[in-house]
Amino acid sequence: MNVLIGNGTALEQTLVYELRLPRTLIAFCTGAMLSIAGVLMQVLLRNPLADPYVLGVSGGASFAALISMLLGFSAIFIVGGAFLGALFSIFLVFIFANGKGGWTINRLLLTGVVLAAGWYSLISFLLVLSPPDKVHGMLFWLMGDLSYDRPLLPGFVILVIGFLLTIPLNPKLNVMIWGERQASSLGIDTQRLRLNIFFISSLLTAGAVSLAGGIGFVGLVVPHFVRLFVGNEHRILVPASALTGAILLILADMVARTAFAPIQVPVGVITAFIGVPLFLILLRRST
Amino acid sequence: MTFKINNLSLKIADTHVCNDLNIEIKPGEFWAILGVNGVGKSTLLHHIINVDNAIPNEISIDNTPLPHFKRYRKQLAKKTGILLQDYEYNFPCTVLEAALIGRHPYLNQWQWENTEDINITENALNQTHLNHLKHRLTDTLSGGEKRRLNIATLLTQNPDYLLLDEPTNHLDLNAQITILNLLENHIKENNKSGIMVIHDANLANRYCDNVLMLFGHGEWAAGSVKKMINIENLERLYNCKIECLSSENQTVFVAS
Repeated sequence: MNVLIGNGTALEQTLVYELRLPRTLIAFCTGAMLSIAGVLMQVLLRNPLADPYVLGVSGGASFAALISMLLGFSAIFIVGGAFLGALFSIFLVFIFANGKGGWTINRLLLTGVVLAAGWYSLISFLLVLSPPDKVHGMLFWLMGDLSYDRPLLPGFVILVIGFLLTIPLNPKLNVMIWGERQASSLGIDTQRLRLNIFFISSLLTAGAVSLAGGIGFVGLVVPHFVRLFVGNEHRILVPASALTGAILLILADMVARTAFAPIQVPVGVITAFIGVPLFLILLRRST
Repeated sequence: MTFKINNLSLKIADTHVCNDLNIEIKPGEFWAILGVNGVGKSTLLHHIINVDNAIPNEISIDNTPLPHFKRYRKQLAKKTGILLQDYEYNFPCTVLEAALIGRHPYLNQWQWENTEDINITENALNQTHLNHLKHRLTDTLSGGEKRRLNIATLLTQNPDYLLLDEPTNHLDLNAQITILNLLENHIKENNKSGIMVIHDANLANRYCDNVLMLFGHGEWAAGSVKKMINIENLERLYNCKIECLSSENQTVFVAS
């Protein structure tokens, strides 16, 4: 705090401005993106237990990121590659799910799950082929990691765009959770809404995965947890989840950095440590 | 002020629902749609408010062809509303929250529900005898309470034309009568129109003014219940022997 308002030595200044602050901002941004994407994915699949990765977006991102790492690209190309991989994966899901007879939730879910399985087998293949000195970094990336230096701005741009695009959808989401027919009879263009939800949540997930790898549980637990307190009013739920997810990931990253110091644990491991018991407790308490 | 279906021929997959269907539904009228399972009763109900599939001039609401509403969906939602057979209850919600979505067509993009919206919703919950449960979660309701909640949502939406897909599905005898009395009163008192898919010809006989019979292969007949609900038509409709039993108060048709 003291350093932020201009006091402190040069070393402290560097430490805070160039290491801690960017890392905290990335955690904020990633947590918020994953949580908004989680809320949207849960409405899209009409299942409160869906998470942003369920349609395989992270698989495409991971595969592309690992290839970039294998080729020795710098951070910005890894992030960019991951983003392109995520977009490609979204495109595949979209094309295959839109088969004969239109788009059903089950077909969407199955397409996503099967493509995700495909991506992960490719990832395993890649890991087996990779030289041992690179595998450690790759595993860190897969588990969700905030430790290395990366560009901050694109993440924030995606977060802000995704968040702004969600605002006009929120009142419609309140109706959409009752099913498409009900939503349609209450005056909602459900085909358009469905596409909007799909693309916005995918964009946010792509942003989050490219920035920080496969951080699990945030997108699943946070919306579920916040829903317990604010109900299904999405105009509150979406911003509240974004904020909660951001704070959760910042805290988790603090633990990841300090708990086993000097060893740094991937933050995805910590979110799973927190997320799994929390989720099981929530599930037991719900009817 | 009418709901008009003009020369509608509807074929979905292998089901030929109706051929050159012409009916006109006026305010204050309560219609029944009868037919065997799979003849396309629900399909017809869904089709007649689906702006995306409609063809100009076949279906018009208050002299406006249905496709016109493609760009004015909320306007359409103020005129027609549907009670579906099934709803999804995947997200825990309170009864009040659930019924409040009926106000969606009346709110613009940036408007929040105000006290008036809540009063309208509570009024609908009162009519369906659910107001004492308004803070309960929907997944704790019984089958009959859920059905009343669905109707409360429709009453909150307050459309002029109520399309009802088996409102008495899964309900016990008392609940069936309660719900149909409620719908009948709502339609007659407020000069609304009702179009109801139902499997019980006797309930249709008791509550409705007119009936549309779908015989399959696109054949149909429509008219007043007095004229239409008789042994001959019911035998053709359900393809089995029908008997007529009478008491002082009512006449019922049963399979023999």
